[in-house]
Amino acid sequence: MGGSRKKLLALGLALLMGGALPGLLKAAPDTIVMDKLGDLYGPVTFDHNFHMMITGSCATCHHHTLGEAPEDERCLRCHTGGSPAETVACKDCHPQDRFSSAYLEKLEQDPYLYHTDRPGLLGALHQQCLGCHQQFGVAYGCTDCHERTEKGDAFYRSGDYAPQGGSDDKH
Amino acid sequence: MNRMLEKGFRPIDTLHKPDGTPWSFKEKMMLGLSPQEYWAAQLRNPFNWILAAIFAVGTPIIVGRFIFGLGWATHGSYDYPWGLLLGWGLFVMVPLSASGFMMGTTVELFGRKDFKPIERLGLLNGLLGYFFAVVFLQVDLGQPWRLIYPMFVSLGPAAVLFLVAWHVATYLSVQIAELIPAVSEWMGWPKAKRFIKQIVIGLTVAGIILSTLHQGALGALFTYAPGKVHPLWYSSAFQWFHFLCSAIFAGLSMLIVVSTLTKWFMRWRCDETFLKSLDRLTVGIAKGAALALVTYLVIKFIGVAHDNDWKYLFSGWGQWFMFEIALGVIVPLVLFTSAVRNNNATTARWAALFAVLGIALNRLNTSLVTFNWNLYQEIPHWREFVITITVYATYILVYRAVLARLPILFTWKDKS
Amino acid sequence: MMKKIDRRNFLKGGLAGTAALAVTGKATSGKAASFEGYPDSMGVLVDLTKCVGCRTCEAACNKEQGLPEPAKPFNDTSVFDETGHGGMPRQPTEKAYTVVNRYDTESGGPVYRKIQCNHCNEPGCLTSCFVNAYTKTPEGAVIYDPKVCVGCRTCMIACPFHIPAYSYSSTINPIIKKCIFCYDTRLKFGRPPACVEACPQEVMVFGKRADLLRLARQRIKENPNKYIDHIYGEKEMGGTSWLYLSGVPFEEVGFNTTLGNEPVISYVKEFLGIVPMVLTIWPALFTGFHLLATRKEEAEAGKKDNNKGEGGRS
Repeated sequence: MGGSRKKLLALGLALLMGGALPGLLKAAPDTIVMDKLGDLYGPVTFDHNFHMMITGSCATCHHHTLGEAPEDERCLRCHTGGSPAETVACKDCHPQDRFSSAYLEKLEQDPYLYHTDRPGLLGALHQQCLGCHQQFGVAYGCTDCHERTEKGDAFYRSGDYAPQGGSDDKH
Repeated sequence: MNRMLEKGFRPIDTLHKPDGTPWSFKEKMMLGLSPQEYWAAQLRNPFNWILAAIFAVGTPIIVGRFIFGLGWATHGSYDYPWGLLLGWGLFVMVPLSASGFMMGTTVELFGRKDFKPIERLGLLNGLLGYFFAVVFLQVDLGQPWRLIYPMFVSLGPAAVLFLVAWHVATYLSVQIAELIPAVSEWMGWPKAKRFIKQIVIGLTVAGIILSTLHQGALGALFTYAPGKVHPLWYSSAFQWFHFLCSAIFAGLSMLIVVSTLTKWFMRWRCDETFLKSLDRLTVGIAKGAALALVTYLVIKFIGVAHDNDWKYLFSGWGQWFMFEIALGVIVPLVLFTSAVRNNNATTARWAALFAVLGIALNRLNTSLVTFNWNLYQEIPHWREFVITITVYATYILVYRAVLARLPILFTWKDKS
Repeated sequence: MMKKIDRRNFLKGGLAGTAALAVTGKATSGKAASFEGYPDSMGVLVDLTKCVGCRTCEAACNKEQGLPEPAKPFNDTSVFDETGHGGMPRQPTEKAYTVVNRYDTESGGPVYRKIQCNHCNEPGCLTSCFVNAYTKTPEGAVIYDPKVCVGCRTCMIACPFHIPAYSYSSTINPIIKKCIFCYDTRLKFGRPPACVEACPQEVMVFGKRADLLRLARQRIKENPNKYIDHIYGEKEMGGTSWLYLSGVPFEEVGFNTTLGNEPVISYVKEFLGIVPMVLTIWPALFTGFHLLATRKEEAEAGKKDNNKGEGGRS
């Protein structure tokens, strides 16, 4: 996958030289370490800077929360731009406990809540990353982004935990 | 044994020997022959050698099924959970055994005493058929030792199979009771016979109710699988009636087939009354079978019309359906009608053979051939064939053994 | 909003009564209420457009249910090329209660689909079980009691989705094996099944079935070009707790779209309806036939006339 990563980098650099980056993004972190979503895979060090460069627009990932007009027409019906939200980190809106009874209850109790179909953090990150990565054909295998841990190997019966044959499952 | 008759052998038909001493149980089991004579006669019979060969191959396979599990004996298919063991053992055996309630009804309920000579054969054909259907079921059930669970441990009364289980169990008891007179004569227990005589109407009516419901229920079992059974063999509204109505002529035809076989191969055991009346009775039964067949033919097509399945008739499955109807319904119907018109028992016997084959084909078509018609065709595992043949051979063996002893084909001489 | 009488229990009551020959007028009244599921039952909405075929759900199911070791690692995608008995695509087995299959569709790209028990509102398996092993819990799961399973396998006949598997390999204790919605370990406590929680793509949404239907409709409405305008499982076979959205026609990804909307019980009730009638009417009818048929005979016997009458058989 090194080759395709280089390709992306080149694309990003080209965009950078075009000088298209809005100034307000300077406060954004260069990298984000994502390590709170389980122990089957190791942490992902997300190159935020790099993704800022290649997307050229915060709204690609952050929807309307940075004050830019969102790219999706459906969002535009309400969010036409304006001031940035108080918090913009993924985890502030996308819950880690998407299906806990507490969260489900919260969804139900609030009759004015519009975004009831908001993915949880795990789903949001994967859908967001894999969506583009698959589209551009770069690094979309599980271990292209994060290493499987030993616990992960045990879970997937992979690596040292791989089945030793002998299973004659005919179905 | 037929040849021994010419040499002066007289099978037992009274409780006492000519010299007045009673036959012992062992002597009765040996048909009044000495052990040497008895076993020599058995060894002379080529059919016994065929049976022996079947058991030699089949017994280890049946034992293996209980040691290694169903996955060893069958394909262990999830799409075809019922294979040949039930397809043949339950769905074919049970309709062919409907003769019991038919003859009971004719003789006891409708008072047609002229059918008396063949009544017991009808009852025995019913009892053994049901008993071996249960044997087949026991081989096929995953946990046969839990057979009584639906009766006493955990009841699912809204299920069709619950009805089948209860009714087959009750009906088995009814049929045993109905055959107690034959056993009581043979054993010399006159009281038992007198008791059954008092309740025979009740038993017969119970037999009709139970038979109506479980023969129908076997059909209704397939209404659980709309879309899996081919539409031409499936009718939510009429499935139970198709199965019940076809069981009537299936049972009657099986009775004709079995009586024909006994007439040929067990003539030594039949008495004059049986042999002399058999042609007349065969034509009489043919009349009933023809009526059931024509009713069945009509409701089969009403079933097709009800669900508007005409378009399927022109597909490959439709050809197969028409073949089944032609072979198993129209041919026997024409032959039975001709037999009744010309009073010809031989034609009726051919008709019966076609009807029996036709009903076997219909049940196998419903449970196996056209089941999952839009998925793939399943050919049962060879071990399943071996087990089926072996259990069926046991059925024939037991059938023959009972016919040779109990007063089924002949009238017991002692008056009780 | 929900009907209080559940048709299954209704029929059960009727049959239990008649089986004991204690029939009352009530048992023969024909109309039964339609059962549309427990009001607060939970469900899962599966969005096939999101599945990437990583098989994490299979691994999660294996771990949660303590299933035996698979033949291949769960991250091995070569299983998608496997076919089972009869050339069928992979299906749930006694060792795997859920499997993911790949379908190469006409409308481009592979589509992945997870298969497991759909947890019907009116399950065919439950309807057909003569030892009453199955239960549809108010939470929505279709669970079963393996301790009473006799092994008749009628539920496998009755399941329109070919789901229940049977442990044919066992001699001592073969039983039905299928997805139970993680009832014992999770659903009972309000938690989603293991597969749902493990899915990195959030292909599945866990919630009240009624809410999920609204959600699914909203997704279709918001993305008319992305989804086929159909929620599979909303009505199929009387409705299922598991619901599906797809971007390609459902039949292209292995769904049976010919099942119709009637639950299995609807097909069987015509027979169940005649049972009480036969049990009550037959005895009187046939005893009557007997009296009619033998009347002449008895009269003749009374006259000491030995000529047998020909009449009787109708």
